[in-house]
Amino acid sequence: MNLPEWITPNLGVFMVIGGVAALAAVGVVVFNNAVRSALCLVVSFFMLAFLYFSLGAEMIGILQIVVYTGAIMVLFLFVIMLLNLGSLGSVIEKKDPKFIIGGAMGLAILLMVGSQVIVPLASVNQPKAPEGFGAPQTVGYSLFSTYLYPFEIASVLLLVGIVGSILLAKRRL
Amino acid sequence: MDNVGLIWLVVGLPIVGFLIQAFLGKRLIGNGGGKRLVGALAVAPVAAAFVISVMLTIDLAKLDPANRAVVSHGWDWIKIAGLNIPFELRVDPLTMMMALIITGIGSLIHLYATGYMAEEKDYSRFFTYLNLFVASMLILVLGNNLVMLFIGWEGVGVCSYMLIGFWYKDVANSKAANKAFIVNRIGDWGLTLGMFLLFVVVAANADKFPAADGRFLSYDVILPVIGDILKGMPGITTAIALLLFVGACGKSAQFPLYLWLPDAMAGPTPVSALIHAATMVTAGVFLLNRLYVIFELSPVASAIIAVVGAFTALFAALIAFGQTDIKKVLAYSTVSQLGFMFIACGAGAYWVGMFHVTTHAFFKALLFLGSGAVIHAMAHNQDMRNYGKLAKYLKITFATMFIGFLAIAGVPPLAGFWSKEGVLGYALANNHAMIGGINFSYIVGWVGLGVALLTAFYMARMTFLTFFSGQERWKLIPAHAEGHHDDHGHHDDHHGHHEHHAHHEDHGPDKHGFFYTDEEMAAMPHEHEHHHELDETHKPHEVPPSMWFPLVVLAVLSVGGGWVLNQNHLLEHWLYPPGTQHLQLEAHPHGIPLVALSLGAALIGIVLGAVFYWKGLPAKEGWDLAKWSPFRRAAADQFGYDNTMVTASVEGGRDLGIFLWKGADSKVVDGLVNGAGWVAGTLGKWFAFLQNGFVRQYALVMLVGVVVLLGALGYALKKVPDTSLSGYQAVPAGRGPALPGAEGGH
Amino acid sequence: MQGVPLVAYLGLGLFLFCTGVVGVIIRRNPIVIFMCIELMLNAVNLTFLAFAKYMPSKLPVGATPVADASTAGQVMVIFVMAVAAAEVAVGLGIIMAIFRLRQDVDIDEMNLLRG
Repeated sequence: MNLPEWITPNLGVFMVIGGVAALAAVGVVVFNNAVRSALCLVVSFFMLAFLYFSLGAEMIGILQIVVYTGAIMVLFLFVIMLLNLGSLGSVIEKKDPKFIIGGAMGLAILLMVGSQVIVPLASVNQPKAPEGFGAPQTVGYSLFSTYLYPFEIASVLLLVGIVGSILLAKRRL
Repeated sequence: MDNVGLIWLVVGLPIVGFLIQAFLGKRLIGNGGGKRLVGALAVAPVAAAFVISVMLTIDLAKLDPANRAVVSHGWDWIKIAGLNIPFELRVDPLTMMMALIITGIGSLIHLYATGYMAEEKDYSRFFTYLNLFVASMLILVLGNNLVMLFIGWEGVGVCSYMLIGFWYKDVANSKAANKAFIVNRIGDWGLTLGMFLLFVVVAANADKFPAADGRFLSYDVILPVIGDILKGMPGITTAIALLLFVGACGKSAQFPLYLWLPDAMAGPTPVSALIHAATMVTAGVFLLNRLYVIFELSPVASAIIAVVGAFTALFAALIAFGQTDIKKVLAYSTVSQLGFMFIACGAGAYWVGMFHVTTHAFFKALLFLGSGAVIHAMAHNQDMRNYGKLAKYLKITFATMFIGFLAIAGVPPLAGFWSKEGVLGYALANNHAMIGGINFSYIVGWVGLGVALLTAFYMARMTFLTFFSGQERWKLIPAHAEGHHDDHGHHDDHHGHHEHHAHHEDHGPDKHGFFYTDEEMAAMPHEHEHHHELDETHKPHEVPPSMWFPLVVLAVLSVGGGWVLNQNHLLEHWLYPPGTQHLQLEAHPHGIPLVALSLGAALIGIVLGAVFYWKGLPAKEGWDLAKWSPFRRAAADQFGYDNTMVTASVEGGRDLGIFLWKGADSKVVDGLVNGAGWVAGTLGKWFAFLQNGFVRQYALVMLVGVVVLLGALGYALKKVPDTSLSGYQAVPAGRGPALPGAEGGH
Repeated sequence: MQGVPLVAYLGLGLFLFCTGVVGVIIRRNPIVIFMCIELMLNAVNLTFLAFAKYMPSKLPVGATPVADASTAGQVMVIFVMAVAAAEVAVGLGIIMAIFRLRQDVDIDEMNLLRG
């Protein structure tokens, strides 16, 4: 069996993980039940975290699991549970020309961006980042020196988000 | 002249008077008791201004004749790059002469008006306008630049409008006021265009005014130099002169635009005397004198001015024969005499124009005030057919008015003789007004002589019908009651105020003080709406001294004024000192021929008048219009001119308006507007379904937009060479691994 | 990961992104729409990281990779996560509020934006 040169074992692993992530993403969109969608999304996020590890970004991968699959998705599930949206029929998905138009548009974006971005970069296959670029030390050092001000602004944004969500969610202030 | 600053008082005092009348007048009058105080407060500023003017004139006369022009700077008004229009007053012979006329005659007429308007409810409103008028007129003549002249020009126009429409409750008066205002718009249009053109010419030659500092419309800057500049451009000179003359035509009621002046008689009689005879209507002649350097450079414009003046004089004199309203006769007489002034200016004898302005101010103010006295005595009936034998009742009025009549007729040695003589003499003797070799000046001189005869004739008609002519015709009123209110409206000069006739009969003029006393005024019925009609029981009475005193003063001036001003070229050398004389003019020698001719004209006119009107009102001019001769009926109708113009402008304007409304506006403009609305509405209807509030649909539309944009972007980038890898390739050797492009494709 | 070309990551990211877009357009359940938005954000994160990994460094070999393309991409991902967290918190709060108000969250029943 003469496989082409570009097919490597690593690529095989990537294909498996990425394929699961993509399938799960499709599942998010197609499942009518919001709980199922949420679970698909959890799977997809997990797979993405693995891909982050594979790219050498350990810190981000951990953050992905903790923040997204841990915090955000739990939040989603909580809301679904609270609003009792999990049951079928609470929101009926009707047939609609948007299905076709939206699908066509998504496909169009896929093709156009792909043709413009994927094709010219097709020959890049060597990671060039220095060793240890994804280590927490490196990211933390960068975050607290070069990106200090954006970091602080992001913290303010989160604070505002906390206050805003409390304001919205509370019945009476 | 150290005291030139006093000139500001001359303008300022009437303004102060105006403010007092406007803001305190009603309060001071109270219940009609304080009218004497208000009247005195109205007269005093004008009289004081007259005294100051006399002082300034005496000081001015002490200066060297060549330097008799002093400018008093007030404050900067309009100051922009290349143009500076300050508030400046100018003291020179011409302005002071006008100031003396305005304040002198003005104070006499103010005095007269305190009596004439005594029964008027809006006493202080009247004097508010009158004082404001005097102030505006003084700004017009005393201002040192054309813009100030224009302010005064519009100011007197507004005051004239308000005073003509003083008794605004009668719609006819309001219409007359509107007519005066609207017709004057045409003149103002010409004046402003002339001003602009003059400014353009001056500003284009700014280098010739090194010290001007942008004051390109100030007389002391332009007058010495403008002649040299305009010499090289006769066409532009004629254009400026004619445009300014259009302005003068409007204000001074010359032929195409004279229409408003007869209607302006709807105002109170003192207004007619002050504004529409003595001062405002002479503004045009003043303008010609002020800028004579421009007018004398253009023989064409001069000829047109002379011809227009002569035609106006003739036309108005003929119309005067058809008038039965005493004030209308005087109005047409004014138009005719203004024509004389323009004849003089057209002939190049500008000082004679001013001379006639002066004498005319004397005798025409006298005649108007006299007619006011007659009207006052005759229960505000203005129809001469209702008068007759009034000489018996109104002795002072008769004596003074007869002097005025002789003066306007041109009987020597009264004032009118000298100035009319000057007009005719200069017109006949000179050849300044030439177009294509035709000496219009000469022709116009002969026309003027004919008009002088007509003037004597129609004035004799008026005088005899009023004061002599057989019977006391108001006693016949019941006999011809049907024909009474028949024709070309002799508007009663009385609308909105009330008769004190019954009261009047109780005591003669001797019981009055100089003014009406407060008690007398308070006793006059105010709220009583009965409009007194002249009837057979009427008994005319002489007016109070506050009204006849001005008559006497003006009569004295009418007798002696002309002779004094003509002695030793007094006025001529005052206005135009020898050596500064512009045109080489020669007066027609006061020899036998001209004197004989004009004297003959005057005498023939008077005799004709006596022959026709001594015995009584001829049936051909009586109550029954059907018996009138065709000529007289045509004259009464202004030979159809007024009707034609009014019809043409009103109906033409209406037709134009209808065309613009139905054709242009409804179809084109509305079509465009509605079309735009229709297009927007239709498009909106088509796209309304997009605005349905469903967020997902918006997102979809946005997505479509993103796709289209991406497509366009891709299409645009397609042509660019494949440089997207440059970021990767630009790594210097030795930093990181080798270029990916080089090892790609394995 | 040695042996995997950059375009593999980019292609996966692109696919996830387009899936998210289509999901936002065709789904009516606001919670699912939110999930799709998260999906799109994660697709972008993946792209950031892939570029960070494959972008050549401009730093000398062995230097601490601060202010380099490789760290810039990761920091960007952290910020995206922060924004996403805030957005989810507020967005879910809004959904709760709407549900409380109308007892319904069907996005096609909400057309308050209609002019």
